[in-house]
Amino acid sequence: MSQTLSTAMLLTVPMAPLVGAIGAGILGTKFGGNVIGRATSHSLAILGVLIAFILSAMTLQSVVVDGARFNETIYNWMVVGGLKMEIGFMVDGLTAMMMCVVSFVSLMVHIYTIGYMEEDDGYNRFFAYISLFTFSMLMLVMSNNMLQLFFGWEAVGLVSYLLIGFWFNKPSAIFANMKAFLVNRVGDFGFILGIGLLAAYTGTLNYTETFAKVGELASITLPGTDWMLISVICICLFIGAMGKSAQFPLHVWLPDSMEGPTPISALIHAATMVTAGIFMVARMSPLFELSETALNFVLVIGGITALFMGFLGIIQNDIKRVVAYSTLSQLGYMTVALGASAYSVAVFHLMTHAFFKALLFLAAGSVIMGVHHNQDIRWMGGLRKYMPITWITSLVGSLALIGTPFFSGFYSKDSIIEAVHASALPAAGFAYFAVLAGVFVTAFYSFRLYFLVFHGKERFDQNPDAHHGHGHDAHGGQHKPHESPWVVTVPLVLLAIPSILIGYMTIGPMLFGEFFNGSIFVNPELHKAMELLHEEFHGPVQMALHGLTTAPFWLALAGVALSYYMYMVNPALPATIQRTFKPIHTLLENKYYMDWFNENIVAPTARGLGVALWKGGDQAVIDGAVVNGSWRIVGLISGVVRKVQTGYLYDYALTMVLGIFVLMTYFVWLK
Amino acid sequence: MGLLSLAIWTPVLFGVVLLALGRDDQAQAVRWIALIGAVVSLLVTVPLYTQFDVSTAAMQFTELSPWIERFHVNYHLGIDGISLWFVLLTAFINVVVVIAGWEVITSRVNQYMGAFLILSGLMIGVFCALDGMLFYVFFEATLIPMYLIIGVWGGPNKIYAAFKFFLYTLLGSLLMLVALIYLYLASNGSFDLVVWQKMPLAANVQSLLFFAFLAAFAVKVPMWPVHTWLPDVHVEAPTGGSAVLAAIMLKLGAYGFLRFSLPITPDASHEWAGLMIGLSLAAVIYVGLVTMVQKDMKKLVAYSSVAHMGFVTLGFFIFNSLGVAGGIVQMISHGFVSAAMFLAIGVLYDRMHSREIASYGGVVNTMPKFAAFAMLFAMANCGLPGTAGFVGEWMVILGAVKVNFWVGFAAASALIFGAAYTLWMVKRVYLGPVTNEKVKNLKDINAREFFFLSLLAIAVLYLGLYPKPFTDVMDVSVTELLKHVAISKLP
Amino acid sequence: MIDKLSFVTVYPEVILLVMACVIALFDLAVKSSGRTATYILTLLTLAVVAWMQASDASTGQTHYAFGKMVVSDPMGNWLKCFATLALMVTLVYGRAYAAARDMLRGGELFILSLFALLGMFVMISGSNFLVIYMGIELLTLSSYAMVALRRDHAASIEAAMKYFVLGALASGFLLYGMSMLYGATGSLDLQEVLKAIQSGQVKHQVLVFGLVFIVAGLAFKLGVVPFHMWIPDVYQGAPTVVALMVGGAPKLAAFAVVMRLLVEGMLPLALDWQQMLTLLAIGSLAVGNLAAIAQTNLKRMLAFSTISHMGFVLVGLLSGVVNTDTSAVGNGYSSSMFYVVTYVLTTLASFGVILLLSREGFESEEIADFAGLNQRSPLYAGVMALCMFSLAGIPPMVGFYAKLAVLQALIAPGDAWHIGLAVYAVMMSLIGAFYYLRVVKVMYFDAPVSSACVTAGMDVRAVLSLNGALLLLVGLLPGGLMALCADAIVKMLAS
Repeated sequence: MSQTLSTAMLLTVPMAPLVGAIGAGILGTKFGGNVIGRATSHSLAILGVLIAFILSAMTLQSVVVDGARFNETIYNWMVVGGLKMEIGFMVDGLTAMMMCVVSFVSLMVHIYTIGYMEEDDGYNRFFAYISLFTFSMLMLVMSNNMLQLFFGWEAVGLVSYLLIGFWFNKPSAIFANMKAFLVNRVGDFGFILGIGLLAAYTGTLNYTETFAKVGELASITLPGTDWMLISVICICLFIGAMGKSAQFPLHVWLPDSMEGPTPISALIHAATMVTAGIFMVARMSPLFELSETALNFVLVIGGITALFMGFLGIIQNDIKRVVAYSTLSQLGYMTVALGASAYSVAVFHLMTHAFFKALLFLAAGSVIMGVHHNQDIRWMGGLRKYMPITWITSLVGSLALIGTPFFSGFYSKDSIIEAVHASALPAAGFAYFAVLAGVFVTAFYSFRLYFLVFHGKERFDQNPDAHHGHGHDAHGGQHKPHESPWVVTVPLVLLAIPSILIGYMTIGPMLFGEFFNGSIFVNPELHKAMELLHEEFHGPVQMALHGLTTAPFWLALAGVALSYYMYMVNPALPATIQRTFKPIHTLLENKYYMDWFNENIVAPTARGLGVALWKGGDQAVIDGAVVNGSWRIVGLISGVVRKVQTGYLYDYALTMVLGIFVLMTYFVWLK
Repeated sequence: MGLLSLAIWTPVLFGVVLLALGRDDQAQAVRWIALIGAVVSLLVTVPLYTQFDVSTAAMQFTELSPWIERFHVNYHLGIDGISLWFVLLTAFINVVVVIAGWEVITSRVNQYMGAFLILSGLMIGVFCALDGMLFYVFFEATLIPMYLIIGVWGGPNKIYAAFKFFLYTLLGSLLMLVALIYLYLASNGSFDLVVWQKMPLAANVQSLLFFAFLAAFAVKVPMWPVHTWLPDVHVEAPTGGSAVLAAIMLKLGAYGFLRFSLPITPDASHEWAGLMIGLSLAAVIYVGLVTMVQKDMKKLVAYSSVAHMGFVTLGFFIFNSLGVAGGIVQMISHGFVSAAMFLAIGVLYDRMHSREIASYGGVVNTMPKFAAFAMLFAMANCGLPGTAGFVGEWMVILGAVKVNFWVGFAAASALIFGAAYTLWMVKRVYLGPVTNEKVKNLKDINAREFFFLSLLAIAVLYLGLYPKPFTDVMDVSVTELLKHVAISKLP
Repeated sequence: MIDKLSFVTVYPEVILLVMACVIALFDLAVKSSGRTATYILTLLTLAVVAWMQASDASTGQTHYAFGKMVVSDPMGNWLKCFATLALMVTLVYGRAYAAARDMLRGGELFILSLFALLGMFVMISGSNFLVIYMGIELLTLSSYAMVALRRDHAASIEAAMKYFVLGALASGFLLYGMSMLYGATGSLDLQEVLKAIQSGQVKHQVLVFGLVFIVAGLAFKLGVVPFHMWIPDVYQGAPTVVALMVGGAPKLAAFAVVMRLLVEGMLPLALDWQQMLTLLAIGSLAVGNLAAIAQTNLKRMLAFSTISHMGFVLVGLLSGVVNTDTSAVGNGYSSSMFYVVTYVLTTLASFGVILLLSREGFESEEIADFAGLNQRSPLYAGVMALCMFSLAGIPPMVGFYAKLAVLQALIAPGDAWHIGLAVYAVMMSLIGAFYYLRVVKVMYFDAPVSSACVTAGMDVRAVLSLNGALLLLVGLLPGGLMALCADAIVKMLAS
């Protein structure tokens, strides 16, 4: 095993998947005329990701073991007016951790895909896309400068766009992917402005150089305003994060993104891409530490997302959407942690969440396959008999999600709650309440899902409209469910293991150890959260035991119990509640009317404005009045002038005489 | 005969030969001669790049010989880092256009090809001219072939478009002619740009000259609000015409700002920078909104061209190297991307004979290869990093934020607009289920189309992934230009 | 006072006169309906004369003859040379046309055109009121006759009638003005007149009084507003070949006369006549261009365009003397001369195409008749397109450089008033561009109405191609002709 980090090795990490992507994408698709078959394509892609994962692991190891660090330029993108723009890598704890998470989950998803996409014509194209995604994501996390960060940022957005619209014949899918891209663009709009301001005031795009200079920015205000420059920068950057990490109000795209195939929901819209925003803010911690305003903003947004997106999870009946909303609310938790300056905690939760949420999504996919592409949990139930592995692994995932002590989710989530509790910022109060209540909600919808799918009566044969997703239902709806093939279950198991253990193993070094030194910066005077956490921390076991006595645990337990009562003991109850609290239910049904607002207020306004400017401005005023108008005037005059040429001799003679007369009057008599 | 003369006159010569000898009964031969001519013309420009010295801002490959003694007009050619890429771009696009017109054009092939070859020669002349009158002659002469191209091979409403194009642009350039003559007299009988750039001028004179130039260049670029000719012309022009118009002709105007407005009337440029920035932002936002509601693919791309050129002018008038270099890069990238977009539309039009977005849908099902290219170009059009479209916008936005946050704020909105109208078109044309029989029977692109589309695709990706070669060439010249502009010329 | 040298000075004129008579007699013997022999003989004569003029001009010397009544200077010789060539080209283009319209039953066309040319020579060389007047009358009388040559053709007769009456009126103006000046200065000799004016003895008002009439007379010959009314009707009514004879070479002569009378004779009055020309120019630019837009008949359209172009010629003439500073006069006048010469060159080509397309019993003079010409004959369409772009003043066609020259002369003073006039002029030419473009549009964009392919004699093809090529070549290398004009004007002013 290599103990030092070489450029070549790091370069291989993103390049290997890229090669796989190009191979499968050009040779394996109609574009290149299907030169290579399925087997070749997927082995090519998987090989690439495998290499990436192994090298990432080696990187992590050398970072942890012998504290290796790396920060070098690969090539010079351009230099203009002294501003250097480069492509380069920076490897430290944060990066190494992300590299491993990304490549590992990606690897799992690759394998899983072999089974899941089996029946799909776009098989090779799909592999090309997810490998391309892996490349982009790795470029993003390994970057050592803003340019490459933005490159990866947009590239993952592109692949997400391509994958959500993977089934391009599904109108809902191609609407969802456009929506996703546009909403993300709104975020990027803020992001690029933030980067621009940084570049303008620090004269560099490189992280380390930027951070070295931020001190100077602390006291400046934005010209023409009395806003602190640093706050503006941080909020701009965070708007970018809001888009990518689906924070309220830019979260609207994520639920719709479930239109894409399930593997990418796991990979992109749960484990990795959506956490890019969290990663970015953690990276930028030296900046955010300087702006209370920004941190409060972050806390509020995170709080709202964590709680209110959780509510929506309760009433969803599409198995994937339930998980999607839980993802939203978990992202909210991470954001809250960021706001509380507990960046390491946020990243810690990012990691644990990556594992168990990927697990849940893949399990959901497995279920969907098992019941022949029906996604409606009302027509499932009692599947545990048929799909044991999926059942167990999902249970693990759910337990981790709701934060059961000793499970990975517990450590991260509990730390977040503690951190927020300890935070002194004004908005922390609200955030604390939100995350606390969130625990209950999370537990409730998670186990509602769990019970409805795996326990209770078997309802899968009563499905009135056995809706078949994208038309490839090789076997009709009425068969008994079946466990998925090994390529599907193995990843589930492999993900289940870290879902249980990773928190227990890593909380020490990641939160309170040296792991993030040099990559995450907290201002100890202002933000004591981490210190307090550190004081209370006496090893994972004690933490877990202590966890059994704290509010979050009991809230979670309550959530589970309630869901058990409502969906196992007294299945009629939900309907009654629904009837009694109609208005609330409708509100949740319509997702707080945010999509309605975007589709019926924002979009029409923009288009109306466009039409008005086009018909009114361009065609009526500029073209009609000015351009053609002036020409019409010329035409009129020429008509008149022409009339003067009567053709009568005496008129002509008269004109000449008049001409003489005029000249006379003017030159002889007037002058 | 210098390299630049070679670059200018080779295509013109081939064009004249085609006009003189071409017959429609030997169309195939004509096509080949045209292709050979275009390729040769491209090859003769290669040494310009290989022998170019990036370390100096001075004019290179200069040629100077008297042309009209009576008015001291000289045949004075030369290029610096600003103009080099446009010479190459023009020659390159010319090749692509010739290939693109290979099968589509069946009547009067020799005139079509001849017109394009001559046109490219003239446009290269514009980028090389260092003499005011020589510049003007090339600048104006380009109107004739373009007028004929639009009118002869254009669409149903071609007449209106051709006249609008010709008269609209002529209006602007005639005012510039007066300005040139004034400068000639003010400099005691010289048409030399270098002399003009050194010559002190009073503030009010500078303002008048500035607006005379503005009239000519703003129409050509085109800037808001004199942009309305562009959509009409693009819609009617044949594919090749649209490609050349968008890729090169619009650049003539923007290039004029760099050669005339900024260096000759620097004080006026500073005085009126606010106005220029305002107009540029209007192009970005106003036109961005208008683009979103277009129903005709060509109109849509045409409007988006206006929006993209807004970035160019914006970049020029924020007076920092990021902005100016960004503007130039944006010109180059737009040259590739817009040409690609129009040629892609041409590919569809040749098959369906409709430009209406509504008459398409689900093209990807029947033309997967083509759809892949289209997707790439679309992404370039909405400025995705890694493609050409991103580089210029990125530089200009960064430069703008540096000058004034709110200018940058307005400019960055292009990220949203660009994505909105481009993806909206992609969604309705390429994605979704096959909507009608005609789409169902579409044939995917043939080898020829694959070839020229991949030429452009490579260019788009190269510029996006490694723009250094482009920026290095212009860096010194841009710095020099900015230094010059910073110095007041008031007497 | 009449010495041999005098005859040496004018021997081209003498030869022309003799040959005209010879050809008239010779023609009686010619029987062929095509008048081939006469045609060839005429061309030979003209060739010889043109050559003589050119060689005289290239000596660059100025001679006076007949007691300073006649002058032979480079400007005059060049203009005569060009006029002769123009007439030759006209005859080449027009012969088939005339033959098809039974205009060659007798050789009048040739003889009259020779006498018209002689008249132009006299005008150009005249350095004395009476000589100039005599030349003008010789030219116009022959022209009247030629316009009326198709006696069975009502339109021609009407045109001739109008031309005659108005021409008489204009000659009256001119003569009256001359007599006023004679009365005021006591001399018919231009140089004497000049001296008298310079002496300052003469009452300014009287001079201006005469000047107005002279300018009016000249304006008629040039055909500028408001003395332009005859032009459209004559161009349209006259047989095309004659229209070309009236609209082509005589412009050169008219320009010469303007130079002689206004510059050689009355330069001190420049400030007055420049203002008059300004008014006429403004009027011509507007009326010419605006009226031309509305025309559907190509000949009539070209007639109006002539008016606007003469406006440009005036622009050059009126910018000679800059508030009593005569240092730069050469600039303005030579630019005008360049303009006139190139304009005639272009007119020849454009009318050439019209003549070419006219067939037996079919006058191809409606713009619509040119529809789709490009499909029928790319060559002739190309020549016509060159003409149109040249007239519109689009580089690199020669017409652009003419405008350039004139405009730079105009802007030279650099004051707002002159620049304003320049902007006005270019805006008018922008409007003008529209109707020239329309012709190109008809030829290139529209579908052909008749597919009859265009046939023409070798000579016509060759000359027409050359003529069209010149429009472009002189445009690409305008230096030579510009230098020639400049030199000629300088020499003339020096004498």
